[in-house]
Order: sequence, then structure tokens, then C-alpha cells
Amino acid sequence: MFSFTKEQKVFDISGTSIGGQPGMYPTVLFGGVFFKGEPDFDDAKRHIQTILDISKQTGTPTIPDFFIRKVEYIQPIISFIEKVLPRKYPFSIDIIEPSIKVETLELLTEKKLLSRTIYNSIHIGITKEEIEALQNNTPEMVIVVAFNPKNKSPDGKIEVLENGAHLTERGLLEIAHKLGIEKILVDTAALAPDENSGAAIAAIPVIKEEYGLPTGCAIHNVVEKSLWLNDFPLAKKTVDVASNNSIPLFGGDYAIFGPIENAELVIPLIAWQDILVSEYAENYFGVTPVASHPRRKLLK
Amino acid sequence: MVEEYYPWGGEFTTCSPNGCVAVVLLNIQYTPPESVAIYGRLKTENIGIEKIVANTISNPHIRFLVICGDDIRGHRSGSSLLALHKNGIDNNHRIINAPGAIPYIENLKEDAIKRFQEQLNIVDLLGEKEKEKIDKIIADCKRKSPSSYGAPYIAIRIKPAMTVSLTDKRALHSKIVINYMGKVEKRGV
Repeated sequence: MFSFTKEQKVFDISGTSIGGQPGMYPTVLFGGVFFKGEPDFDDAKRHIQTILDISKQTGTPTIPDFFIRKVEYIQPIISFIEKVLPRKYPFSIDIIEPSIKVETLELLTEKKLLSRTIYNSIHIGITKEEIEALQNNTPEMVIVVAFNPKNKSPDGKIEVLENGAHLTERGLLEIAHKLGIEKILVDTAALAPDENSGAAIAAIPVIKEEYGLPTGCAIHNVVEKSLWLNDFPLAKKTVDVASNNSIPLFGGDYAIFGPIENAELVIPLIAWQDILVSEYAENYFGVTPVASHPRRKLLK
Repeated sequence: MVEEYYPWGGEFTTCSPNGCVAVVLLNIQYTPPESVAIYGRLKTENIGIEKIVANTISNPHIRFLVICGDDIRGHRSGSSLLALHKNGIDNNHRIINAPGAIPYIENLKEDAIKRFQEQLNIVDLLGEKEKEKIDKIIADCKRKSPSSYGAPYIAIRIKPAMTVSLTDKRALHSKIVINYMGKVEKRGV
């Protein structure tokens, strides 16, 4: 439970605030809508209603993160977002293939959805075509992934943000700034066990003190890669959910928690953790939680 | 034996230590025959490829690398592995002409890549998912019974200097100082 000397930025997207000193704003969660195989929109709709309900009840904002795997899924997924999410509700799009990124950005412009879009993500693999598409179709907020294949320590992560670590011409933060994007979330790039997996957590306070930017990661990826846990299925589920706790505990602002199916477990867990952080932060550092904070909502 | 030959670890299964075939599984449900030396899944176009290189050149008996299944969307790891064998890496350590999103080889020395290109014959079965066809090709490779490449090549994992000497034992990282109540400050300011 930390407080930072560096001024901490808070960014708003469609009414959801991310960032700041620990204890002020609730941790923001991103739940992955993966659509394995053909998209099952009925199932997705149910899960989205669940996150809306639990978020409202607890005060922990939860944003759906739509994974788009194929070109032919772009149109139906964007239509689904338009129809099913409440008007003005933020969402993120998680795409690996650069060509799908470009097409999705264009459609988001056409549908006037960019002001609600969190672009997941910019990383060292950014292409010229992607930069051009982002220039013409600039999302409100981006996640910048500090993945440095050569140096997985917090220093290596800062290196790619700062100067691209010779992998990109410019630092990733400069690339985002040149695109006119100020609302940047730093993702500390959680890697597999044996790849300095702990650095993704240790890097959170380091990066927040360095840049004052909202910082988090998808720590559940480490659990997925911990194959030995397959021998302990009950524990694996527990660890998968509980792993997200380490993010607010180390001063982080958001967690990408994996499949949205885990929402019923993860959202209350993070609300519980936020209450602990907030109580200490207020008592010692004088950080007052906002009205929507789980501590205000759940402790009457 | 496993520790001796495959020092980099990863998600793989070892079978016959003297087998001449290693099998890379992309998007495919397939279990290679016991006669192969090693098989495993490839997911990422950077760290995953590095492990394949390190774990194949460490066993000189492996002379064929069979790459099968549909390529991994976005990562294009299979195509990137083919590109590494064909073209190597550029000055920025990027695999030349690799289509993957982040195809960088950062933890292996060029000598290791050169050895990989020389020791291994690539059997490009990208897109192939039929068990019978793949089994047959693996059997064909085995029938050729190529000689061992010689001594194992144990690739050294390039590691950045991460250990720092700090007098303050409460520190989490060299860039910050955290006092006993949790206040974070930049070190040395």
C-alpha cells in the first residue's frame, strides 16, 4: 500500500476514471470477451449484464475487452458493442493482427465509437500501417505494452517506453504522444514463469513513480502459463482470480483479468482489496476515496 | 538426459533422445510418434522461437524440424520460425521478413542461430493437420537416419545485468525508495 511522490494522472473515458494515488479511484477491471470459435453473442450478452450488475453493486468499474481474431468478426462484434453496451459505456478492443487493427479502427470511426474506445494495444511490433490508421482514427485511450524481449526487468520495460530499446525508432510513449493520444495506460507485460514474471508487478510502482501514468497488467497470463497448476484444478482457479490482487496491492490502477466468466469472483475480490488500500491510504496519506469507491458503496 | 539436452525449458514432451526429428505444433491436435526426439507447441514469435532454437541445437541428433498445423493468428509464429531459418536476423535482432507482430530474437547469440540453420533441416508442413500425412513424413525423415551433427551446442541465454547493489534493504527497485510506511520516492532526488 503505497503513495507516490510523482503527481499521478487520472484519465477519464466515458465517465470511468483510471489512475491517481492508490486509494482514490477504484481499480478498473478489464474482462476478456474472447469468443472462442464462432462468436456466441447470447452468452456474451449474459456475461456483460453480469459485469454491469456487479460493478454497479460494488463500485468496481469493469470494462469488456473484446478480442477480435478474424476479419469477418469485426463487423458483428462492433455491432454487438453498439447494441448491447449501454450508450457511452467504454470498451476495449484487443487485437493481435495489424491488418485487423486497421480495419477495426476504420469501422469504429464510421460508427462514431472512438470516444469510448480503449485501444489494446500499442507495443514494439507497431507497423507503419497501424500508425497511419491511428493517426486517421485516433482512439480516446490506449494501452501501451512495455514488453521488451531482451530485458524483462522494470528497467527493460522503461527502456521500451522511453526510447524503444532499439526495437522501435522512438519510445512507445513518444509514439503515442505524436499520435495525439494523451490518455495512456501502461501495461507492464506479464510474462511466463521463468521469464521474470514477478517483474510485471514490481514494475508497477516503478513506472508510476517515473511517469505518473495509470499502470497495470494482465497478471492472470502468468497463471495460465504455470502448467504445474494443472495438477491442482481447484487451486488453479483460486490462483487465477487471486493473482489480480497483487496489482492494487502494488499501487496499480487496472487489471486485465482474463475471461469475463471470472467476473463474479474477480470483481468482489478487487472491491475488497480496494477497501483495504483505501482505508490505509486515507488514514496515513490523507487520500480520500471518490464517492463511487467500493469503500463508500459497500461500507455503510 | 532432459536437463542435459534441453536446458531452456518450456512446454514440450521428450521421447527418444537419439531421434532425429523435432516437431513444432502450431494450431493442431496431434501427438507425434514416440520415435521423435521432442515435440511441443509454439505460441509466440519471440520467446517461443528462442526456446525452440536453444532446445534443438542442444541435441545434435535432431536434424529435422517438422512444423505443422495452422499458423497462430496474429503472432504468425510458424511463418516467423521458417523466416528465421531461411533469413536469420537483422542488426535490430528482428527476424528478416518475418510476418509476426514482434519477431525479435534477443536472448540468443548469432552463433546459436547459425548453428540452428546448419544443424536443422526444416520440413515445412504449415497448414497441414492430417495425422497420416505428418506421420508418414516423420517416418521418411527417420528412414534417412542422418548422422549426429557432433557436439551439443548449449546456447547461453543473454541476460541483462539486473543485479544492483543497494544499501537500502527496503527497496523494491533501484529507481525508487519506499519508506517504512509505503511512501514511494525516486531514488537520489
